[in-house]
Amino acid sequence: MAISKDTLKAMIRDFHGFELSDSEMDLIAPELDAYLSELEKLRELDLSKVMSSRLIKADEGGQADG
Amino acid sequence: MANQDLLKLTISEIAPMIRTGEVSPVKLTEAALAKADRLQPTLNSFITILRDQAMDQAREQEVAIARGEYLGPLQGIPIGIKDNIATGGIRTTVGTKVLSDNVPEEDAEVVRRCKEAGAIILGKENLEEFAAGATSNNPHYGPVHNPWALEHIPGGSSGGGGANVATGVTFASLGTDLGGSVRLPGTFCGVVGLKQTYGRVSQRGLLVTSFNGDHIGPMTRSVSDSALVLQALAGYDPLDPSTVPVPVPDYSAALERNLQGMKMGIPSNYFFEMVDSEVESAVRLAIEALQELGVETREVSLPSMEYSGALRFASMSDSVVTHEPYIQANREDYGPDTLYRTLAGQFVLGRDYSKALKVQRIIQEEHARVLQEVDFLVTPTAPVPAPRIDAKYITLDGAEHRVRGPGSGIISRFTSPENATGLPAITVPCGFSKMGLPIGVQFIGRAFDESTLFRVAQGYEAVSPSRGRWPAVANQE
Repeated sequence: MAISKDTLKAMIRDFHGFELSDSEMDLIAPELDAYLSELEKLRELDLSKVMSSRLIKADEGGQADG
Repeated sequence: MANQDLLKLTISEIAPMIRTGEVSPVKLTEAALAKADRLQPTLNSFITILRDQAMDQAREQEVAIARGEYLGPLQGIPIGIKDNIATGGIRTTVGTKVLSDNVPEEDAEVVRRCKEAGAIILGKENLEEFAAGATSNNPHYGPVHNPWALEHIPGGSSGGGGANVATGVTFASLGTDLGGSVRLPGTFCGVVGLKQTYGRVSQRGLLVTSFNGDHIGPMTRSVSDSALVLQALAGYDPLDPSTVPVPVPDYSAALERNLQGMKMGIPSNYFFEMVDSEVESAVRLAIEALQELGVETREVSLPSMEYSGALRFASMSDSVVTHEPYIQANREDYGPDTLYRTLAGQFVLGRDYSKALKVQRIIQEEHARVLQEVDFLVTPTAPVPAPRIDAKYITLDGAEHRVRGPGSGIISRFTSPENATGLPAITVPCGFSKMGLPIGVQFIGRAFDESTLFRVAQGYEAVSPSRGRWPAVANQE
């Protein structure tokens, strides 16, 4: 999935983010590429039925607290 | 015993000598400070050495012991503290120019506990800028050097601590681990690094970090020392809601029991993919050694690890929020690796953040299921031995991967998932590459069951090919 630099810059500017020059956009590109690539992997994964998260409970391990 | 030899003992070995008065905390601290001064130009492992304070603490502890006020095995022991952990009245830079004059008013809870146990704080240790990376190539305070090969990284972000423990400057160092930052210096410097269960140790006083998955943990020269330090650190902190009010067992009691009949899980996917052949061989030999000690082997599958890369969405967003106030006022004082990696976080959508949390939950469930079938998991700690300080890329499976800055993450590939599960994980040295660089094996256990990890890690440590080895620089006069 490709998003143009201008779109990304405009999104951030409109949402009170940090302004970035074209050359700075090039510097962050590898991080964004990794993000988009991982996002692509998730496309086939059904996340709709995942249970709510919670704190780890002690009785998952060896020392339950009563 | 000569000072150099005293500094090469473990806490377990020297603590009884301090208790009986055979070893003086003052003389031990003087020796450790002298060694710190001697090696600082070579390793650059400290940002601040606390000479006067350390000597004052040592004198206090020596007097207390003479009065019969013995506090336990950390009393009179020189340790180091990573410079992103608050020390009251002492500069705490977090490895950044932005906080170069930052002096916290209070000690972090872990520092308070170490002082209460009588430990001597030798100094504040060098780290990656803002603890945000795996190299400890700090753009403001200089790179930390790996004691086994000075042109290589010590791992990060707690690299100063790893280098100090490996050379006998400190007996233990406290690091912080948000993606492997205790375990990676552990493996690259050839020492033991522990990330205990999330919630076991207070994070109060850990500066400029994510609110999701950071841990303060010890680096030590032995597994039994790791157990001793965790004993001092562990416990509920009512002022840190991330800690969990569960009993803290006697960790040392779990040690020196045989491993017969225990079950280890060897992941059939992810954890042995994209790994250097020398690392894989050393870890496979460690598995064979455990089998010879009577541990049963089961292959286990963690299929959702395929999606573990999504966990970075949450950390990207967390990072930009954490840094927001600092970047707004001091953008020009950031190093480029941290700045541009952080700024990328502002592009993560809320929807994708939510997906990352769901992936985190799936991976947690999968680990919990597998750890019902086995007592612990075995993996490499890092996919490669320590890269060179000047390396921008490493090559694995024919592909180039960034070592630091935007798009990096390969080095923490096997450690960062356990920050998301919150499960305890420990690295133990398991040999060396042909170049003489240390390799580590990682054991992952059940939540709040560090005792089992210590038992396994110590059982393996006793037969590890790394035992008794020191880097040459540790003997530098």
